This record gives sequence, structure tokens and C-alpha cells, in this order.
Amino acid sequence: MSPELVFQQALNGLSFGALLFILASGLSLVFGMMDVVNLAHGAFYMLGAYVALSVVQSTGSFWLAMLAAPLALGLLGFVLEPLLLRRLRGRHLDQVLLTIGVSLVIVDVIGQVWGREVRSLSAPAGLDGSVTLIGGVYPVYRLFVMAFGVALAAAMAVVYRRTRVGMLIRAGVQDAEMLGALGVNTNRLFASTFATGAALAGLAGVIAAPVFGVQPGMDTDPGLLYSLVVVVVGGLGTLSGAVAGSVLVGPADTFGKVLFQDVALAVIFAIVALVLLLKPTGLLGRIRIAR
Amino acid sequence: MIEVRELRRVFGGVVALDGVTLTLAEGERRAVIGPNGAGKTTMINMLAGETAPTAGTIRLAGRDITRMRPWQRARLGLAHVYQRTELFASLSARDNVGLAVAAHRGPYRVFRAVPRAEYAEGEAVLGRVGLAGRESVAARDLSHGERRQLELAVALAQRPRVLLLDEPTAGMSPLETARITELIAGLDRTLTILIVEHDMDVVFRLADRVTVLHEGRVIADGTAADVRGDMRVHDVYLGKAVTVA
Amino acid sequence: MRPLLRWALVAAAAVALVTFPYWSAPWVSRFATTLVRDALILAMFALSLDLLVGRAGMPSLGHAAFFGAGAYAAGITGQRLGTDQLPVTLGAAALVGALLAVVIGVLVVRSEGIFFLMLTLALAQIVFAIAFQWTALTGGSNGLSGVGRPVLAGIDFSAPDLMYVLVAVTFVLAALVIWGLARSPYGRALSGVRENERRMRALGYDTARLRLSAFVIAGTIAGIAGALSAYSTRFVSAQDAGLANSVRAFVTVLVGGAGTLGGPIVGSALVSLIERVVPSLLPTDLRISEAILGLVFIGFVLFARQGMVGLGRSAYYRVQHR
Repeated sequence: MSPELVFQQALNGLSFGALLFILASGLSLVFGMMDVVNLAHGAFYMLGAYVALSVVQSTGSFWLAMLAAPLALGLLGFVLEPLLLRRLRGRHLDQVLLTIGVSLVIVDVIGQVWGREVRSLSAPAGLDGSVTLIGGVYPVYRLFVMAFGVALAAAMAVVYRRTRVGMLIRAGVQDAEMLGALGVNTNRLFASTFATGAALAGLAGVIAAPVFGVQPGMDTDPGLLYSLVVVVVGGLGTLSGAVAGSVLVGPADTFGKVLFQDVALAVIFAIVALVLLLKPTGLLGRIRIAR
Repeated sequence: MIEVRELRRVFGGVVALDGVTLTLAEGERRAVIGPNGAGKTTMINMLAGETAPTAGTIRLAGRDITRMRPWQRARLGLAHVYQRTELFASLSARDNVGLAVAAHRGPYRVFRAVPRAEYAEGEAVLGRVGLAGRESVAARDLSHGERRQLELAVALAQRPRVLLLDEPTAGMSPLETARITELIAGLDRTLTILIVEHDMDVVFRLADRVTVLHEGRVIADGTAADVRGDMRVHDVYLGKAVTVA
Repeated sequence: MRPLLRWALVAAAAVALVTFPYWSAPWVSRFATTLVRDALILAMFALSLDLLVGRAGMPSLGHAAFFGAGAYAAGITGQRLGTDQLPVTLGAAALVGALLAVVIGVLVVRSEGIFFLMLTLALAQIVFAIAFQWTALTGGSNGLSGVGRPVLAGIDFSAPDLMYVLVAVTFVLAALVIWGLARSPYGRALSGVRENERRMRALGYDTARLRLSAFVIAGTIAGIAGALSAYSTRFVSAQDAGLANSVRAFVTVLVGGAGTLGGPIVGSALVSLIERVVPSLLPTDLRISEAILGLVFIGFVLFARQGMVGLGRSAYYRVQHR
């Protein structure tokens, strides 16, 4: 491989990694706080992309879509948690099963409302050009994705470490029941956490749309599967875990597809299996002892 | 039969057990007593193989079992009755005991139903502990006392050589306690029994020898009468109800 | 009910089931035969999953890997070896299902709960990915077409009615096997592992080995179900090994009632009804059968965790203890 190609693929890998971070952080957050692996996370991601599609179609503004989709998904999450998940408080496996049902419903409804053809969403004007970098042209949008991912990670780090909300989250990841005993309104905390996770998934859907398209099946590939890969490898429940996972998996997947082509997907999941076997909580993850 | 040497267990910064040595002869009935936090349950868990010791050795009938897993120790004849009830909740009393009976016959009998002889053996054990007539009841539907009886039945059904009892009468009414105590007292004398207890009446009824633990160390070891009169033991138990003759 | 009477009823039901296309011909269309046939394949698949989920307490979301592997094995051996003989292709499916289950099983049996779920999901995805991308062997995203007609003792089972009989007979045999397992000391040991694994170990059972054996048995039966699916549609798609198929089986088990023999069977009837019959009752441009399935599933998880069989039992007790 020529150095130019390597550089290009490295950029691809990093922008994919940034995207994965936006996507996976929500899943990791929800698991860390609530011990629930939200298997509807991919469906949320998908819904975000389709909502963006509609918003862009009616208003022409990608930026508005970037605002609307997370908001819509956040609202959905805020409603779903008390409606469904809260009834199963303490039954973690059953909550996971519940999210499977939610996923089935959302994906089918999307197909019904928006149709089952492959759709696309263009990058917003201003970001749809290319820029000349070392040895070639590179799409501006992908650079934007990278920048956005980094900015989001930085913002989340600030919130996480320096705000009261962040402190609640960190404490909740350790022991949410204890928080309740200390007088924190855990109902609102859980609903907000789930809503945030959904909003992040929706945001990822919008941002990924110009790169990966909008089509049936995106809830599993890349949606759920890649979020699971990142979260398992990097670490369940922590921000640094999501970052670590994305930074590792993004480039690994990109280079894997270039070098190994057909077998790449299998290799990725083999890595997941390996990590799950050796260190089930992921490289940087932590879980509460939950039953 | 059981030889424990310099058994030590450290959890993080806490020394739960600090070099405990004791020996049980075959057929001996040994009670281990001591205030809360003395390390009694930690010791039993290490004997059972659920917790690994930080240092020290455990031998069973001359064989070093320190590194052995629980299921390996079970196959050597060790049975453990837990402090908190650990049964198969949705299975009937008969099936709970049946699993113990089947354990030494091998679980891979796939296509036939459970043989009559096994059922009979299970029912006999249930009868001995006083659960006759309750065989079909699911474990979770039994009363607390009945569940402790079932625990004992399951352990006995393993046909053990050594029985580890962790507070078998905990939470029982005086009537139930008396019944269980007599049951244990009436067990075959070839069975070696180590019993952790708080109830002194039970201890004095059952034990040949008593070992007193305090803060992870053995502070007294002798016959029940010896220990009863030992002033150090009284000091340690100050505030606790101990019948002094 | 006296045992002899119960046996007679079960035998009668089995016979009726196997001969369904013949005696029902005056009343129902060919569609009904196809529907019941596919429901039986799903039922078999779900029964095998229930051995894990309901009996051994191992919630697997990757069971379709074995179904798909069996389907491919049946198709590929038929084509590569140039044979249509049922024992060969079906045997290959069972063997591949079993071997794959050993490979995956060894990796997963020491995990529990949610980690086990994620691990089985991830590993099944590897199988799916391989099936999807190894075009030379599996036909890749286009699938494997032209799966051979199963032939046994000179009889070509590809005729619709005979295909049904093949599926029904295999189903009855599989159900018998699982029923026998459930009643045996082995089945009871699996229940013990589900209820309290720690105690099982304390009793002297090698629980990892018990789980692995259950995993392999379940994988083998799933592989056979996959082969039947391949024979009936003459086609194998990579989706047969995909997450959606695993989810489908899981939904079937839960909705029917995990841990019971009747549960997966009743569950597959309901799921088949929702997937096949409901769409024909709705306007053609309203395609939401999966959403309906999802809602039904959510309903059961929330309000009727024991599934339909569980609901039936509670109703029965309430009537009895009036």
C-alpha cells in the first residue's frame, strides 16, 4: 500500500472511529448506569437517520436535522423508560429482552412510514466538498465528522468530570441504588440517562447518514453490532472505554476491510469474542455486581 | 480427617483469618464459635472450596485439597450446608434431594426417567429430616424452618464423609432448633461434622470439642466443658448470653 | 388423566399432525400445509433453543448460527457430493451443527446472563459474516440456491405433501427426544444448573460440562431444523444464520413459555400466525407484522413472563382452586 493510501485509510479509520464514538457512547452510558444493554440502540440510530431525512426534505437544513433528530430520540427515550423499562426495575435480563421488542417495533414502523428502499442524505452545503491533503483529495465531511467526534468527546469529558450531572453519572455507574438511598431521584436519573443514550444514537444516525446512507438493515449493520463491538472492546460503562473502543475499532475495521476484504467482519467479531472471554468488562470498563 | 494448617485469608486490607490451625479426627463433632466477624464463615467457605486461602493448607483424609474446586471436594465426600439457604427454588423437595442423590451416580443418564431406587433413597432422607409428606412441594413454597431441613437433607443425600454446617439453626424457632439438633446428634458416628453455631445450647448438645475464634485467630480449643469455664472466652463474649454452669 | 389415555391422545395427535395434508385437503388450501410445515420447523428450532434458555438457564441470542450452518451443510453437501440421499445431507447438517456448537460452546459456557447473551450474539455474527462473505462456498449475499431434493429409500420428498410429512415426522422425533431429556436425571441436572449453579458445583456436578453438552444437543437439533428449511424452500439465505432469526426463535420461546415442552410449540403457532396470517388480514400496503410481533413480545415480557403456557397454567389453577 502506498503511503498516500495508508494516510487516506487512516483518516477513514479515524473518522469512522469518531462516528463509532458518537454511536457507542450512548450504549455505554446506559449500560453503566442502568445495567441494561439496550438492544434497541441500533433502531434508535436508524430512526435518527430517517428523522433527519424528513427534516432535510422539508426544511432543506442539515443543521436543523442535527438538532431535531437527537431531540426527537431523546424524547422517545424519555417516554419509553418509565413506560416500559421501569416496570422491570431490577430484572436486567428482562429489560434487555424488552429492548429487543422495542427494536422490532421501531424498525418495522420505519419501514412502513418511510419505505424500504435505500435512501441517501447529502452532506450539508459547505461540507460537501473535498480538500487536498497529502497525496490526494479527501472529503471535507469526513474531517467534519472527526472534528465533531473529538469535540463531543471533549464536551462529554468536561460534563463528566466537572459538573454535578457528571458526578451523578459517575456515581450512578458505580452504584445507582446507593444514589437513591442518598436522596437522588433515581427515576428521573434513569429516564434522563436513557433519553441521553437515545439522543446520542439519533445524533450518530444523522451524522453517519451522508457517509453510510439510510437503508433497511442499518439498525444492525452498522448500528447495533458496531456499538456492541466498541463497547465490549473498549469497556462497558465508561466514557474512556467508549473512546478507547472507538479509536481501536474504527481504524482496525477500516484497515481490515482494505487488507482482508471478505474476512474482515469475521475478524472484528473474533476480537469481540476474545475480549469477552478474557476480560468481560472490556479493556477499560467497569460494571457493578448486579444480579 | 481434616487438617487445617496456618489458614489465612486477607480481603483487601482486612485480615479475616489469621493463621488458623485445627485438626478433626474422623467421626469427631467439632463446633466453631466466636463473635460476629471472627472469621467462622470465611473458614467454612475455604474448607468448602468457595474461597481460596491466601496462605495455609487444608487436608482431607490426608489429601491436600487446598487448591481443589468445590465440585472436586464434593466428590471426595465433603458436603456443605450454607448459612443462607441455597436451594433449587422452583424444584420440588424431592428433586432437590434427587439432585444430590444423582450427583454420585453421574448426571448423564439421558433417556430414562429417574429410577425408583433413587427416589426411594431421596424420600428416606427427607423422612429423616422430618419432611415426610412434603416431597412434592417446591422449595420456595416451604417455610423457613422446612427449608433449613431440606438443606440438611440435600447435604445428607450426598452421602458425605465430612459435613460442614454453617449456622444450621439460624432463624429457627425453639421447637425447630430442638428437632434439627436431635437430628444432627443422631447422625452416624462415622460422619465427621464441623458446625459453626451461635446457639450455645446446640453447641453443648452436639460438640465433642469446641474451637473458639476471635478476630481470625483461635483463642481456645478444648472440650465443651473446658471452653465453658475459660475466662478468655467469657471476655470475648461479654454481653452475649452464655449459660455458665 | 391416566397415563395410558394420555399416551393414546398424544399418539393420535402425532398421527394427525403427520398426516395433516391428507385429511385436511377438503377444507384448507395448500397454503395451510406450507404454513404448518414452516411453523413446525420453527417449533423444532425453538424447542432446541428452549433446552438452553428455559431448561439450562442460558439465554442465547446466537442460536441461528446453528440453524444456518445446518441449512448450508445440507445444501452444500448435496451439491458438492452430488447426492440427494437424505441420510447424507441431514447427517451432515446434524454433524455441522454439533461441531459448530462444540466450538462456540467451549467459548461461551463459562459466561452467564447478559455476558453470555452478548457473547453468543457476537459469535453468531461471525458465523453470519462468514456465510455472507464466503461467496465461493455459500453463495454469499445471493444465497445458496438449487438445494437438492431429499431422497430416502427411493422416495423423493420434495413433493409438497411428502415434504410436509418429512418435516412433521422429524419434528415429532425431535419433540420426543427433548421430552425424554427433560424427564431424565440429565434434564433435572440442567434445571439445577439454571436454579443454582453454585449449589450444583457444591454437590459435585461439573456444571461447565453440563452446559456444554446442552449447548451441543441444542445446536445439533437446530442444525437439523435448518436442513429441513433448506429442503423445503430449496434455498439457503445468509439471513438464516442472522440475528433476526435468532431473535425470532427467542421470541417464540418466551411467548410460548420457556422451560416447557408445549411452550415453544404454542409459541411457534402464534409467531407463524402473526408473520403469515395477519398480513393477509391487513391492507396490503400496511406491512407491520414484525412490529406487531414486537408489541406482543413486549406485552409478554412485561405482563406474562411465563408465556402462554404459564398463563394457561395459572388459569387452570385458579379454576381448580375455586
